[in-house]
Amino acid sequence: MRQLAITGLCKAFGAHPVLTGVDLTVPAGSLTAILGPSGSGKTTLLRLLAGFERADAGMVTIGDTVVDGPGVHLPPERRRIGYVPQEGSLFPHLSVAANVGFGLPARQRRGGAVAQLLESVGLGGLGKRYPHQLSGGQQQRVALARALAIRPAVVLLDEPFASLDAHLRASVRADVQQIFRQAGTTAVLVTHDQDEALSTADRVAVLRDGKIAQCAAPQDLYARPVDAELASFIGDANLLTGVLGAGVVQTILGSLPVDPGGTAVPPPGPVTVLIRPEQVELRAADGSRPADGGGNADGSGRADGAGQADGGGRAGPAAAAGPCCLAGRVVSYGYHGHDAVVYVQPERDSGGGAIIVRTLGGRDLPPGSPVTLQAHGPVLAWSRDG
Amino acid sequence: MTAAAGTLASPARPPGAAAPEPGAAGRGRARRPAVLIAVSCLVAGALALPLVFLLIEARGVGGSDLRRLVFRSLTGELLWNTVRLTVVVTVLCAVIGTAAAWCVERTDLPGRRVWAVLVVVPLAIPDFVVSFGWNSLWTWVQGFRGAVLVMTLAVYPLVYLPVAASLRSADPGQEEVARSLGTGRVRAFVRITLGQARGAILGGCLLVALVLLAEYGAFEILGYQTFTTEIFTEFDNFGFAAACALALVLVLLSLLVLTGEGLLRGKGRVSRSGPLAQRKAPPLRLGRARWPALAGFAALALLALGVPVWACIYWMIQSRAPAIAGGANVSLLDAAGHTALYGATAAALATAMAFPVALLAVRHGGRARRFLERSTYLVLAMPGVVIAFALAYFTEVYGLRFLSGSTALLIACYAIMFFPLALVGVKASLARAPVRLDEIARSLGQRRLAVLCRVTLRLAGPGLVAAFCLVFLSVVTELTATLVLIPTGAQTLATQFWAYEWSLSYGQAAPFALVMIAVAALPSYVLGRFFDRSAQAQ
Repeated sequence: MRQLAITGLCKAFGAHPVLTGVDLTVPAGSLTAILGPSGSGKTTLLRLLAGFERADAGMVTIGDTVVDGPGVHLPPERRRIGYVPQEGSLFPHLSVAANVGFGLPARQRRGGAVAQLLESVGLGGLGKRYPHQLSGGQQQRVALARALAIRPAVVLLDEPFASLDAHLRASVRADVQQIFRQAGTTAVLVTHDQDEALSTADRVAVLRDGKIAQCAAPQDLYARPVDAELASFIGDANLLTGVLGAGVVQTILGSLPVDPGGTAVPPPGPVTVLIRPEQVELRAADGSRPADGGGNADGSGRADGAGQADGGGRAGPAAAAGPCCLAGRVVSYGYHGHDAVVYVQPERDSGGGAIIVRTLGGRDLPPGSPVTLQAHGPVLAWSRDG
Repeated sequence: MTAAAGTLASPARPPGAAAPEPGAAGRGRARRPAVLIAVSCLVAGALALPLVFLLIEARGVGGSDLRRLVFRSLTGELLWNTVRLTVVVTVLCAVIGTAAAWCVERTDLPGRRVWAVLVVVPLAIPDFVVSFGWNSLWTWVQGFRGAVLVMTLAVYPLVYLPVAASLRSADPGQEEVARSLGTGRVRAFVRITLGQARGAILGGCLLVALVLLAEYGAFEILGYQTFTTEIFTEFDNFGFAAACALALVLVLLSLLVLTGEGLLRGKGRVSRSGPLAQRKAPPLRLGRARWPALAGFAALALLALGVPVWACIYWMIQSRAPAIAGGANVSLLDAAGHTALYGATAAALATAMAFPVALLAVRHGGRARRFLERSTYLVLAMPGVVIAFALAYFTEVYGLRFLSGSTALLIACYAIMFFPLALVGVKASLARAPVRLDEIARSLGQRRLAVLCRVTLRLAGPGLVAAFCLVFLSVVTELTATLVLIPTGAQTLATQFWAYEWSLSYGQAAPFALVMIAVAALPSYVLGRFFDRSAQAQ
């Protein structure tokens, strides 16, 4: 179990820069996901870490060992890095057991270690099969077992679940998580799937423009992205214009408190405000919440709004007085079973088009249905000119 | 199979080639594999020697003499004979070879495994033995028609082998996708399957054409005059200037064929994107068509394999001479020993020389490196008779007496002649050992040498054995260059057969032919079996 530290890592292919100074620390025993769109250089980063490619500049240390640095380039076989490539890349001429035991000294290959490893990835008894006799998920697990066999200091996984179908993906992902937790392995996983990154990893690092834009725990990354672009990259986001006052920002959805624990609060003035879809509450025009199927009394919602408005101080126009109701019409209603995502076009122009709202399941809202929206703070804000 | 293949292939790896290879395996792409390039340059240089010798010789002859010798009616006649035969036989081989490969690889033809072997075995029968078989049984088999018949039957496996390999490794998904996009079965076959095999077919045709340009023994027996037979005659009668002039024309002709193939092939490089452990195509049901298909295969085996073998047996019985007795027995063993020794040494040398060049070409793109690889194909433009002639003449005239008439020179000649065969095999085999797997192996803590042995050579091993076998076969069945360069007093199966055949002692020639077939059949069998195995499962 070692820490992996990357500083100022650069790599260009010809005139095309791919990584332009990556700084990242992966704590020992953690599972860190590197999240980035396709072509952002994720795989290149992994290949550099594994030692398959040579970095142009920067330093990589595993534990106390510098594996890449000025004048240093440790060959892959001396890094003790387990690499699980996207396609599994099993040795086609070797049985599953021989694949897993590949990195072990000759004497241990036949022992129980291999069988135990196969057991641990849920493939006990399949040792005699050949790679082409396995399904994609099974091949992936064998590749993982093969990487773990050498007791690596760090395991690198390149989009390990991309080739699996959805239900398999969840179970393999959970298994992998379990395996890593048990072994206490330091692992880096590369993915373009934010769901996967957020749900699997202890920490998520977003790779953007050849740099790490932010590295944080999944919750922090979602709740406190460093900028608006990142906010909309991680999950759905309503980015509204607003005016920041003293700890309160005024938006089309009323005046909302600014998260004091968030990234540096910008100076007062025009700002971009992030309101996550689940921070917006949606009611049918008759006042009932679609999620509750009309469980609330007509008046209670309004009473809430009114109460908040009172708390916000003297009310002039509605927008100035704390969270309030914003009327709009449903543009589209996407039902996902456990929840629903509703796009609502506000009757007053928000400057940002439709507002995204996430509600719990509930009743159908055909396009055109009149609804009211109410937001709940705290929210994040960034200077508009920044 | 893989284990056996690995051990079989290991003698093919020279100490020199082992060093540069791993450097190529794991380093970043930006790094120049300097050692590999250096070794490849040496190989390319060695291969260019015969051409250099020939040009030096041509200078010695002088421009006006050369012109006089080239521009005469004999040249035109030879050109017509050579070209029309090459075209007709190449086309026939392409059709037969491709059809046979498709039936064996993609259909439920009964007895596919047996056919896969039987179809390849004719490669073990020297062209001049096929020619002898037909011509000695039926004297009407001669001239142009005889040459077409004999040569087609003798060399179609050169198309079959690469096409079968390519069909086997091709992604069956492409054909399925084409079908799902509304392409009919026949059109899907033409556009996708043949498209996938296009490179292999062209490559096979190229080999066929070049063999035809270089063939001597078969045409001599059939009384069909081509450039090669004429060069040989001139050389034999010490007409060095004329031999040199004709050799230059022949080289140009071969270059033309090479260029043509290159143009036809274009830039269409077939690459596989899917995972290595891939699905196999479900065999196409032949249904009633299996009967004509079976009949075709039976006829092919009978004509290409049955007739020559039967002819040998027939003449042995006819002569009633105690062919395998007394003195003849010793010389048979002796000749077989020489043949096997030359074959194995030359095959090992050629495969070893091909390895660094192939590695450079497959794993390191780049124009210069590809040019280096292409340049070695120039050897293809040098028919065996020309190479042997150049080497013999040069060592004789330029005082390399210790080399002239030596076994080393003969082996070197073989290795140069059959280098392209080895290169094709090694390249194909390396393509099956992607660099990605080497990287994985290294990240699992294996040193370069271990990676080479445990991954690269294992995956490439069967292909390396195939390359070795191809060269071995070719040496065993080689006659022309052997006749020119054979060390004094030594006899190979081919030269001894030739001596007897020349004196019309068919009964005594026959056992040499049969032993030659037997010696060459072993690698043929390995080849067929290897392809069959890898078709079954890896």
